[in-house]
Amino acid sequence: MESANRDIKREINEKLHDQVLRGALGRFAEAYPTARAKAYENVEDVEALREQFRQLKIDTVNNIEAVADEFEASVTKRGGKVFRAKDGDAVKQYLIDLCKKANVKRIVKSKSMASEEIHLNHALEEAGLHVKETDLGEWIISLAGHKPSHMVMPAIHLNKEQIAEYFSKELQQEIPTDIPFMVQAARKALRTEFLQADMGISGANFGIAENGAIGLVTNEGNARLVTTLPRVHVVIIGYEKLIPKIQDAAPILRMLPRNATGQRMTSYMTMTTGQTPVMVKQDGKWVEQPKELHVILIDNGRLKAAKDPKFKEIYNCVRCASCLNVCPVYTIVGGHVYGHIYAGGIGAILTAFLHSMGDFEKINELCIGCRKCVSICPGKMNIPGLIEELRAQSVKENGLPFGVKAVFENVLANRKVFHTLLRLAAIGQKPFQSGKVIRHLPLFLAGLAKDRSLPAVADVPFRDRVHKINRKISNPKKRVAFFSGCNIDFIFPETGESVYKVLHDLNMEVVFPEDQSCCGKPVLGMGDRETAKRIAKKNIEAFEQTNADIYLAACPTCTETWHETYVELLHDEPEWKVRVEKIAHKFREFSQFVSEEYAKAGRLNKVAGGTKVTYHDSCHMKRGLNIYEEPRQLLEAAKGYDFVEMKDCDKCCGMAGAFGVKYAELSMPILKQKIQNIKDSGADVIAVGCPACMMQIQGGLDKQLPNVKIKHVAEILAENI
Amino acid sequence: MKKVCDNWQAAFPAGKVSPEFWAAFEENAKNAGAEIFKVKTAAEAKDIVANLAKFTNAKKVVAVDSALQASANINEELKELGITVYNDATDIAEHAESADIGISTVEFAIGESGSLCMDGYAFESRLVTMLPPIHIAFVNSNAVVAGINEAFEIISKVYDNGYVSFITGPSRTADIERVLTIGVHGPSRLVIIAVDEAINGGVN
Ligand code: SF4
Ligand code: SF4
Repeated sequence: MESANRDIKREINEKLHDQVLRGALGRFAEAYPTARAKAYENVEDVEALREQFRQLKIDTVNNIEAVADEFEASVTKRGGKVFRAKDGDAVKQYLIDLCKKANVKRIVKSKSMASEEIHLNHALEEAGLHVKETDLGEWIISLAGHKPSHMVMPAIHLNKEQIAEYFSKELQQEIPTDIPFMVQAARKALRTEFLQADMGISGANFGIAENGAIGLVTNEGNARLVTTLPRVHVVIIGYEKLIPKIQDAAPILRMLPRNATGQRMTSYMTMTTGQTPVMVKQDGKWVEQPKELHVILIDNGRLKAAKDPKFKEIYNCVRCASCLNVCPVYTIVGGHVYGHIYAGGIGAILTAFLHSMGDFEKINELCIGCRKCVSICPGKMNIPGLIEELRAQSVKENGLPFGVKAVFENVLANRKVFHTLLRLAAIGQKPFQSGKVIRHLPLFLAGLAKDRSLPAVADVPFRDRVHKINRKISNPKKRVAFFSGCNIDFIFPETGESVYKVLHDLNMEVVFPEDQSCCGKPVLGMGDRETAKRIAKKNIEAFEQTNADIYLAACPTCTETWHETYVELLHDEPEWKVRVEKIAHKFREFSQFVSEEYAKAGRLNKVAGGTKVTYHDSCHMKRGLNIYEEPRQLLEAAKGYDFVEMKDCDKCCGMAGAFGVKYAELSMPILKQKIQNIKDSGADVIAVGCPACMMQIQGGLDKQLPNVKIKHVAEILAENI
Repeated sequence: MKKVCDNWQAAFPAGKVSPEFWAAFEENAKNAGAEIFKVKTAAEAKDIVANLAKFTNAKKVVAVDSALQASANINEELKELGITVYNDATDIAEHAESADIGISTVEFAIGESGSLCMDGYAFESRLVTMLPPIHIAFVNSNAVVAGINEAFEIISKVYDNGYVSFITGPSRTADIERVLTIGVHGPSRLVIIAVDEAINGGVN
């Protein structure tokens, strides 16, 4: 699976047709958000809790060597041995030697992702040792010879019929497909293993520097048995699990179970330190002795990450897997496509650090940047941000694929060439066009746009319409410079016209800096920072000259790019930093800006109307800009409309730039769900605040729900003027 | 029996351990699948244990003794029913695996999560809570903290060496088709007996 020539697209296709997987993941994704929310009902301030934990982890990683030293000293002082392992080979060698020395033949393991990361079981078995996983899910996949497909529910891709078959084979008796019976059969088989084992190997959910204790959460109770019954206990713990104080375990324990399984606490939480007493039978008699304790602190890329100003964030991960549970991509393809043992967006990042960058490059595109994960991660990890960062690093080291590079550097960085091409496209597409959609979009995504209808490039781009719609405003309240972005400029120029109409109606003067170009997000998405910088500078120059009070976009991605990305891109060029900050500061998103102005003018009163309208929250709008109330207020106040909510209104529509085009087979099921939710809401109109979502959803409506119209919020407002 | 701390109550922070958190504890523990009996006196607790032993047809019980259990005369009562009761560390090591019920006493309860905090320093104290299919846990009903933060405030004062754990409901799994199934590696029943009266300087 980790070979250089993986065919990701084929693997994805297989998973898409895996009914067991789709069913299980689908049902889980459906149930998870409610379960999690319920578990948090009795936590007063979840945000404060997440922030507290995040700070704790940041402080710890900044001091990781000192914390690790203290942890080591604490374990040693209490009679344990600490081994700092550079990588998987070091762990394996240490364990194999230890087993020889301590005369260990049989090993029971409780779940340890770190040991899976280095393929430990395989090495131990090759050395002639008898090794059993005792977590039920881990045991199942070890019987099946599979990798975990989820960090918390490793066997979620299998159904009971498949599992019963593996059990029957292992236990050499016919096991019926009755789940309680199967669980009892496993209990019996594994109980024997526990009682006979010489050594228990566990992972750790946290390790406390103050007293050397490690903490483990499980529901089955296997970790308690692994740490109690055998005479030798080995802990394999990554540096990222360390915390300074005993009390620091509290925020982890308040969030990990709630996020992982929607429980307020797992059935068991176990902390152990030092040589706890253990009783063993010698010559038919029970004798008590201190347990032999070994703690292996594994590096395997972690210390390098700790020193990286951005990637030290991976220390915030508690492996709760909730980022998978809400990820629109993961919930469709499952974990195996991600190749290594860590799945989902976080898996792509951990794989890059703990495994190889080569694998990352194959899977990094499976994140569509929707930020669902960021909004629930206990450690507030910016998973999509880190993935983008890794892409940039990979491009810096290996360059872009040749064709893409040529397009980016020669076309996208040069506005005139780019725009000429788009105009040509408007003519060139004619033969392929049917109605408002075409089969091939000769955009910069050209080579990627296969098997899929996308909106046509407009005959007359917005920039060529401006002079017709612009009005002189006498005594304007404000001077607004409008940044259209490619989508409004070349695909939805009508939206741009509506924006003008709304602003004029507010007695504002609007200017359109001619030299503006693409915001650069698609280029950045591919990891090409240098081209993005060039684009940013050109846009900044164009806008500086406008002398406007407000800079405005009707696209959340563009707004965010101006707000954050440009500032970040140019932070180490002092002159540009000052220039971009001046603009970023005054850059506004359309619906938020207008709702403020409407409120001031007393125009935000709820009205009832005949046409039902629902609203789709764009990922960038809601989780990037934190704007979700304003567009709703505008819709509720729009004459002729009756606002209704739909299910999963803030779930990604599956577009996310190039992803939707390149992984059409993946993007489609996500879109289908969205269309179904729109349908169920009974709305006649679906309103959006993002032109990219508009493009995606329109494609779906065309095919599945032709009677429902899609409109940008600006258009709905313009209708009422 | 050796413990992480011989006097947990001394570490209870003033005003933070109180029966006012009982209701939250009861609700959360029940949601986690625990069975709860709240009684006024240790003597009443005895009947509950005896009934449970009768109904489950228990023959063999392993119990680590505590002042609370002793004052309830649990061992004598069970022996009268013809049940063999093991209290000694060596006997527990030998018989826990085949016992029908394990009995122990925990230090305090946590409202936020419905958890019991157990001092598991002694090997045998862990066996009785893990190996038999039923675990009966005694707790003083006044020894309840609001949340996990408060629990760790206490733990951080007493925990230097050894084994401390939370128990929240019975052993469970959802690893096969996400169907909740009880009693994987640990007990399938957790029976909590909460006693109101204070024993040996317990919390009032
Ligand atoms: S990244 Fe966050 S949400 Fe994902 S597993 Fe780690 S802690 Fe959980
Ligand atoms: S940003 Fe969205 S697509 Fe990317 S990992 Fe997070 S949830 Fe998945």
